[in-house]
Amino acid sequence: MKGILKKLNIKEVNAGACSGQGAWYEDPEGQELISHDPSTGEPIAKVIQATDKTYEKVIEQAVLAFKTWRMAPAPKRGQVVRDLGQALRESKEPLGELVTLEMGKIRAEGLGEVQEMIDICDFAVGLSRQLYGLTMHSERPAHRMFEQWHPQGAIGVISAFNFPVAVWSWNAAIAAACGDTTVWKPSSDTPLTAIAVQHICNTVMADHGLQGIFNLAIGRGAVVGERMINDERLPLISFTGSTQMGRRVSEAVARRFGRTILELGGNNAIIVAGDADLEMAVRTILFGAVGTAGQRCTSTRRIIMHRSIAQELTGRIIKAYEQVKIGNPMEEGTLMGPLVTKAAVEDMMAALEIAKNQGGEVIYGGRRLEDLGQQFVEPTIVKMPSQTEIVHNETFAPILYLLEYEDIEEAIRLHNEVPQGLSSAIFTTNLLTAEKFLSHEGSDCGIANVNIGTSGAEIGGAFGGEKETGGGRESGSDAWKGYMRRQTNTINWSKELPLAQGIKFGD
Amino acid sequence: MDIDISLDMSVEEIVERYPEAVSFLSRRGVRCIRCGEPLWCTLGELLHDDGIEDPQGLIQELAEYMRKRRDQAQDSK
Repeated sequence: MKGILKKLNIKEVNAGACSGQGAWYEDPEGQELISHDPSTGEPIAKVIQATDKTYEKVIEQAVLAFKTWRMAPAPKRGQVVRDLGQALRESKEPLGELVTLEMGKIRAEGLGEVQEMIDICDFAVGLSRQLYGLTMHSERPAHRMFEQWHPQGAIGVISAFNFPVAVWSWNAAIAAACGDTTVWKPSSDTPLTAIAVQHICNTVMADHGLQGIFNLAIGRGAVVGERMINDERLPLISFTGSTQMGRRVSEAVARRFGRTILELGGNNAIIVAGDADLEMAVRTILFGAVGTAGQRCTSTRRIIMHRSIAQELTGRIIKAYEQVKIGNPMEEGTLMGPLVTKAAVEDMMAALEIAKNQGGEVIYGGRRLEDLGQQFVEPTIVKMPSQTEIVHNETFAPILYLLEYEDIEEAIRLHNEVPQGLSSAIFTTNLLTAEKFLSHEGSDCGIANVNIGTSGAEIGGAFGGEKETGGGRESGSDAWKGYMRRQTNTINWSKELPLAQGIKFGD
Repeated sequence: MDIDISLDMSVEEIVERYPEAVSFLSRRGVRCIRCGEPLWCTLGELLHDDGIEDPQGLIQELAEYMRKRRDQAQDSK
């Protein structure tokens, strides 16, 4: 552990607010936050959280830096992002291992998360030469009409524990290419990965003679989070977290006419049709439901399976679950590590109790694995008689609910019945069924897949969902537009002053 | 360790100090953590939002429940 921390400049006690190299801010009144290894419960290192005073310093720097950063040509900004991607390549192994150490996902997933950061940097470098605006034909003679995309300002990024670094990079790399600066409030469960990333950013910024492009403010949501969402100097807040918190963020930011990008809860299902390739379906379900210990926004939480294959599919899923090695996430061969906190274990156990009260039958797992550590649990399968209230709720744990259907219309109805709308999938070999699922009478989610699962999105596509998932889009495609402000321009290159709609006024 | 819970405590602090509170409250229809993260409000605000009519009574029950769980944990050592 010490080797990883040393490579990433993590000290025993770390300042929790920063604007660049030599600009770590520590207030003696700042409260201490201890980061724990979820596998052992042992403390890893401490962070002095941001106070009002240090938060203020961070914001001032971010706002100040924006004034010069926005004037750098976008391709020049892209060069800084390119160097950030390169620095992340060089730190991939220790940073990925720190992700594993601090939040408990397996090492392969920790490394994969850093690869995602590298990928989004590559994407943002290309984007820095493609921030296109449209040109429209004016209805007035000798006029030219077009639109430009301008940087917005200092942007608040509030991320969650489950992707402690990748989600920041989806926002920060794109925002930087767009000419924005960012202020990052990471989850209080994963402050050290954020500090490690900030050190990497500091080196890259210093190499370019910059400060304040990437900024950090670690602290409780009730302190730093509330300050950010009510801060008029942050025109955009990108928030990743629960629907309940998203509602609070959305209301606070809307009150001051700020903008939000919301990536909130999911309750993702896979429909398995009677004609599906069950071998593929089972492998996908296993990764989707057990990967990251069921703590992804896109984790598979519901299986809606055709009655004709329900028994066989259930048997195969159980067999696959029996092979899952649970334990130290750093060890080769482990497929599932611990849950992030003791509270997460409590939440899972309460959900299982409620599911049983609502007629659910636990057909696999359901227990704590205290021999391994206080935060280890069995991945769990619950057969439900119907889609009861607990199934409508997202529980951030490896619980998989099984439901059956008779015809595809019923499957889609069950699928869309939940309030969330993030990711969805269908397994079928029938083209018509697949197209129906992807059509506007099919899945109501932001992500809909055929013969691949609900989790494991690529950075090239826009990531986000509908309904209570919040409607925001991050990462690829044209999600960059959310980080810029659109300006419509008209230039009159004649000596006349024609009005639109043919209006005559004072002629 | 004494159990010290009040309505003006932040949910973040309660979840950190008393993780056992999560399952008790969840069974009463009050969810402190969503998407694995604690909500930012105070316990009082959360209970109000979830329509709990006697919040003071509920936190007394909660404190009692937690004392029992800690005693059980102590006994099993």
